[in-house]
Amino acid sequence: MARFLLKRLGLAAITLWLLTLIVFFGTQVLPGNVGRRILGAFADEAAVDALNERLGTDRPVLTQYWDWVTSLLQGDMGTSLAQNVPVSELLGNALVNSLKLAAFAFVLVVPLAIFGGVVAALRRDTLSDRTITIGGLSLSVVPEFVSGIILILVFALWLDVLPVTARAPEGSSVLTQLEYLLLPALTLVILLFGYIARITRSGTIEALDADYTRTAVLKGLPRRTVVKRHVLRNSLLPTIAVVATQTGYLIGGLVVVETLFAYPGVGRLIVTAAGQKDMPVLEAAVIVVGVIFLIAMLVADLLYSLLNPRIRYASAE
Amino acid sequence: MDETQRRLDEVRRERSELENHLIDEYIGGKITRRELVRRGTVVGMSLPLLSFVAAACGGGDDGGEATPTGGTETAAGNVQPGGTIRVALIQPTTEPNPLLVQDEGGAGMLGSTGEYLSFSDENLELQPRIAESWEPNEDGSVWTFAIRQGITFHNGATLTANDVVQTFEKLINPDGGSANAQSALGGVLSPGNTEAPDDATVVFNLDAPNGNFPTLVSSANYNAIIIPADLDPAEWGQTFEGTGPFKLESFTPQQGATFVRNDAYWGEKANADGVEVKFYAEEAPMVLALQGDEVDFVEHFSVSGGRALLDDPNVQVIAISTATHRQLHMRTDMEPFTDARVRQAIALSIDRNALVDGLWEGRAEIGNDSPFAPLYPSTDPDVPQREQDLEQARQLLADAGQENFTVQLDTWDGFEIPDLAQLVKNYAAEIGVTINLKITDAATYYGDGVFGSSTWLDSVMGITDYGHRPVPNVYLASGLVGDPKIGVWNAAHFRNDEYDELVRQYVAALDVDSQRSVASQIQQLLLDETPVVFPYFYNFLSAAKPNLQGAVSAATGQFDLSKAGFTA
Repeated sequence: MARFLLKRLGLAAITLWLLTLIVFFGTQVLPGNVGRRILGAFADEAAVDALNERLGTDRPVLTQYWDWVTSLLQGDMGTSLAQNVPVSELLGNALVNSLKLAAFAFVLVVPLAIFGGVVAALRRDTLSDRTITIGGLSLSVVPEFVSGIILILVFALWLDVLPVTARAPEGSSVLTQLEYLLLPALTLVILLFGYIARITRSGTIEALDADYTRTAVLKGLPRRTVVKRHVLRNSLLPTIAVVATQTGYLIGGLVVVETLFAYPGVGRLIVTAAGQKDMPVLEAAVIVVGVIFLIAMLVADLLYSLLNPRIRYASAE
Repeated sequence: MDETQRRLDEVRRERSELENHLIDEYIGGKITRRELVRRGTVVGMSLPLLSFVAAACGGGDDGGEATPTGGTETAAGNVQPGGTIRVALIQPTTEPNPLLVQDEGGAGMLGSTGEYLSFSDENLELQPRIAESWEPNEDGSVWTFAIRQGITFHNGATLTANDVVQTFEKLINPDGGSANAQSALGGVLSPGNTEAPDDATVVFNLDAPNGNFPTLVSSANYNAIIIPADLDPAEWGQTFEGTGPFKLESFTPQQGATFVRNDAYWGEKANADGVEVKFYAEEAPMVLALQGDEVDFVEHFSVSGGRALLDDPNVQVIAISTATHRQLHMRTDMEPFTDARVRQAIALSIDRNALVDGLWEGRAEIGNDSPFAPLYPSTDPDVPQREQDLEQARQLLADAGQENFTVQLDTWDGFEIPDLAQLVKNYAAEIGVTINLKITDAATYYGDGVFGSSTWLDSVMGITDYGHRPVPNVYLASGLVGDPKIGVWNAAHFRNDEYDELVRQYVAALDVDSQRSVASQIQQLLLDETPVVFPYFYNFLSAAKPNLQGAVSAATGQFDLSKAGFTA
């Protein structure tokens, strides 16, 4: 187990490092320089040069990268070039916000989708199955800004039962914060339900059709026990993998939802930073999202081996 | 001799040449009373004085001007004290540093606690703030400002003339000042030429006579909030140090800020207890927030993004006439636009009224292919307005031997620009010209902002957005003058000596009459040459909840809530 973890951590570190390289040099390809981005198209060339010098963005790219990496390893994420505040401050706030929304959406969509997928599989080819599958698919292709706006119109404006934005006032209770997060979370549920439900459905069907299930049924076990003890733990394997890959998106990719609901999360932070070539913020945010993603994958793998003993024994050998 | 006449003569004896010019023009009926007041306040005459002059002279009519629909500030009603006004503002792109701010969100932040020498209102009149009054010398090359006494900063320090001097020195410092401020004051005021002979007086020694100088140091130059002499602008964002009716409570980058009433304010205390500003990255959530009762005031919304607000009876729309516009430039030094007839043809193919109705729901004024927007007093309204004329356009193309050519138009995907580009393409098709649109994003289009590495400045044809300026000087000079050191925004690569000379004359002209006569020549020249098509100048729209009264917007993004409050 320990060797397994160490290997994974090593791979993770290399992945993260490659990620920083790609982001850093990738944004160098974009037109414009940092000073120009901040001061705008109409600013005087001399002013742009002065700003670049002040920010240190006129130095060779490799120097900038090296300085940044060495600071990071010492725990200093640097200062935002555009906002002139510590990156940790900007990122910390954004991350907390994103985690709250992601957790809430997660808690809503995963049980719902798994339940839907299992029911659809158990009632394969009936009306319920069709409704869940086709309904789920249709909903998931609706873009977030459409479903989001419809939700806002219906629940916030016409019915006036929920707030329009996702940002609760400072110091609100948990319940109030959840009230504010409900609409964006529902938007995400609409988006993700179909996908997760379908994966669960196909995993369940595969498990239902497997030999061990037939054996369990022939042994005389009641249907419920068969499903609970034999089918579910196998059908959930692909679902776990899928959900883990969605974690990265839920934390760092919710740009549209965050913009629509005026919610200051990591997605918006990344887009703004990329547009301004605000390198410290962009790199730190990408690394954090990368770390979360890798942790999610690790947890998924561990869950996998928990649910499926064969994997456990295989890695032990 | 009539008593009034005697007093008038006495008053006039004490006035400067510039001010007497103005009075003469009024007597001669060349300007309306409204313009007398407008120009008079800019030049430094007080309102009581102007009323007296207007009454004593009697000439000229009131000249009603069409105001944009919707009024210019929320109707005054029974305002209750107290309450917190929630404002939706576009997210600033930079830190709140008076030297670096160059967008609406940032301007809103500066103006929330900071104050200017004067406030430029929607009529382009200057209301005294930190400066009580101002005066030019004989030829307008030296301006003396009287600084109000008894003003304190939010930290308790007293404001003196030295703070004003240092503020401007920092702004125009060639080694790291404000790019924005420098675009307004470059060639007008040089470092080291501003002095404070005493605590209550500031003297600006200009590089050359300039009749529009007070406007250039008013709130229209939104970086010019007066800050303490010993404050490093990079640290302004920590305290938002200023002298205004509200002071900072807290600021969270990219999220918003809260302000409380400044009870030590030198003027009339604000009604509201505080202001809460929330940042929005896009327009749609701002509009929704107003409708959903999460904000009381939206600083700026556009027609395309806020149609719901325009039609909503529960929303007050505040419209300000501005000089904000788009420029469709054509490279005068590149085929097929080297021939002025071809450029004219493109300009004649466009139906400007249709653009105003379609893109702005009528909330814009049509342009006449020069930077002279209708709202400027110096604009000559008698220059014939160019109208769509497809026949003549086709004829001009035939004469120039340039029928049925193809050309590329570069621009970016902000605001209504893609729609405008498409419409321009459609109009051109009607005269046989094929335009291929290449629409990218702002960063790609503007590039480095210098000739040779900017699509904006290098393209054959392009559309650029220009923000509001209270006087056209910058558009005239930076936009179209031939010398690349001055004409840094000259995307059309326009080179015309007569034009350059006329611009020189315009800037130096001190009174409305001479400004207008030069403007008239410039307008005519640009119609003949048409390096750039100016299709329209559109209104700046804000929105407020019906129970919020007294909120004032400026086209630059600042909002003035000192007199705002909620009705019962």
